[in-house]
Amino acid sequence: MSRETLQRAVAFGGSLLLCAAMVYRYSVLRPPYFAVPATLVDHVSGVEHETRGALILVKQVEPLIPRGAQVTAFRPKNGQAWNDNGVYLTAVGLLPHHSVLPPWTASADLRGDQLIEYVIAVGHPFDHPSYAPIAGFPCGWLYKRR
Amino acid sequence: LRLALQTTLTHAVWIAASLLFALFGIAPASVDRAARLAIRFATGIVIGGTVMDLESLLGIPWTRIGLAMPMVLIAIWSAAAMPPLSPTQKSGGMAAALQIGTITLLTIYGIATARMTCGDLLYFWAPKAQHFFFAQKIDTEFLKFPHYYLMHPDYPPLLPMVYTWCSIAAHHFSYWGAAFLTPLYLLAAVLAFRGFAAQKIGERRATASATLLAAVLAFGFAEGHAAGGADPQLVMFEVIALAALTFADAHVIAAIALAGAAFTKVEGAAFAAVVVVAYTLVRRDWRRALVLTAPAVILLGSWILFARHHGLLDSYGRGGTRLHTDKLGLVLYVAGFEARYHAMYLPWILSLAPLALARHWGRAVLPLLVAGGAIVYTIFFYLHEPDAVWWIKASAERVLLTPLAALVVASAAASD
Repeated sequence: MSRETLQRAVAFGGSLLLCAAMVYRYSVLRPPYFAVPATLVDHVSGVEHETRGALILVKQVEPLIPRGAQVTAFRPKNGQAWNDNGVYLTAVGLLPHHSVLPPWTASADLRGDQLIEYVIAVGHPFDHPSYAPIAGFPCGWLYKRR
Repeated sequence: LRLALQTTLTHAVWIAASLLFALFGIAPASVDRAARLAIRFATGIVIGGTVMDLESLLGIPWTRIGLAMPMVLIAIWSAAAMPPLSPTQKSGGMAAALQIGTITLLTIYGIATARMTCGDLLYFWAPKAQHFFFAQKIDTEFLKFPHYYLMHPDYPPLLPMVYTWCSIAAHHFSYWGAAFLTPLYLLAAVLAFRGFAAQKIGERRATASATLLAAVLAFGFAEGHAAGGADPQLVMFEVIALAALTFADAHVIAAIALAGAAFTKVEGAAFAAVVVVAYTLVRRDWRRALVLTAPAVILLGSWILFARHHGLLDSYGRGGTRLHTDKLGLVLYVAGFEARYHAMYLPWILSLAPLALARHWGRAVLPLLVAGGAIVYTIFFYLHEPDAVWWIKASAERVLLTPLAALVVASAAASD
């Protein structure tokens, strides 16, 4: 076998191995394997991606929030706002016509005008005396300051 | 059904708009048709991005008309400057198309089934592009808003500008479109590499090496969840720059590609610096080294000045940040662990394997130095974070694609 043939065999064999590894990698990222995904992150890991709920919910609540309104988004922990940067930053991209602020603008120790007007609570209900839910969806709720 | 069709068409127009960049780029006369198209696509992104950057600086809003006027002139100049294709220049035929095409299809499958999306697309690339699109400029008010600090205000803007370009064409931002640019970047890198390599090592070896490069990059993109992030675009520029210098002495193309790398990610500037230093050491031609550096210095320098003027300086203003050398062992351990790509270091082994059969080591010195340099600056960046473990785990599989690609270039260069 000539050196060139050997070199090409190594390159093609290596490529085949990597393709097989790639197929295996795809296979462990949860079925279904040929269905249209609901979001961009449906199969990026073995567990649900932190932004999946937000990607679905924010699109659903967007028409209910007036343009230019201040809004935040997070996955409530024990019913409270927390530093959920992944969901909040994702909402900044999904709501380009709104003013999206961090989750602390809906924290438990704020009252009245200090609080942000709209809260998108992903996955779990938001528990704050100054907010009331105005719409519910399978992936979460939209709250408005009372 | 009509809504689904409309949405699909929007994504399609969005992706198709990115192909317009091929009209504005330049390519050397010596490479085949596919490589020409790939190189024109990559250099067109840099030229188009520079025009958008200039218009933003001059206060000209990014509208279809505002962008079309200079770009049509550039496209006419580019078409006129393009030398005719020689009948002896082949594109590798069916074998290359089948092998590289199959690997690209695997990447497309991964994106279409949402298996390789990059989180950074959702966290900052898409928000930046969305706001640039609606503001019709580099939106400094958005970038300097203190609550959006995590989006890295002074990060190079080429990728969000590419996304904005496509959004202007489609009248809509497309998350799926952004993810689907990854196979285009993959193809551009591989075809350009093949075109340059064929001039030195012959068609058959070049096709084999290009197939290996496609597999290494596609696997890295899938494993590192790179779709929609900046790394596929960065790697495309890096591969083109390195292949242009290693196989063809195409300095102008390399210089434009290095500028593209520096204008895509912070690491791109480090890559450009490493290439220029390695080139000066290997070729001992400082004049050409200056040519290589100039576009990157001008483009990135103007961006840093712009960022400083608007109070955006962050990553580029951290020259005095403490280096946590006491964490070197930990950084090396975690980065080394992540470098296995959950595949027992297969990409490294396969990138290096052809070197064992190589004879022309001299030609491989430049890419080998660049691969080593890329590993060193990656570790250097990680050492700036007091607790870098999370950062390494989140990024190592993507940033280590740079030295991996350089190793494949080295293996091909030495194979003759």
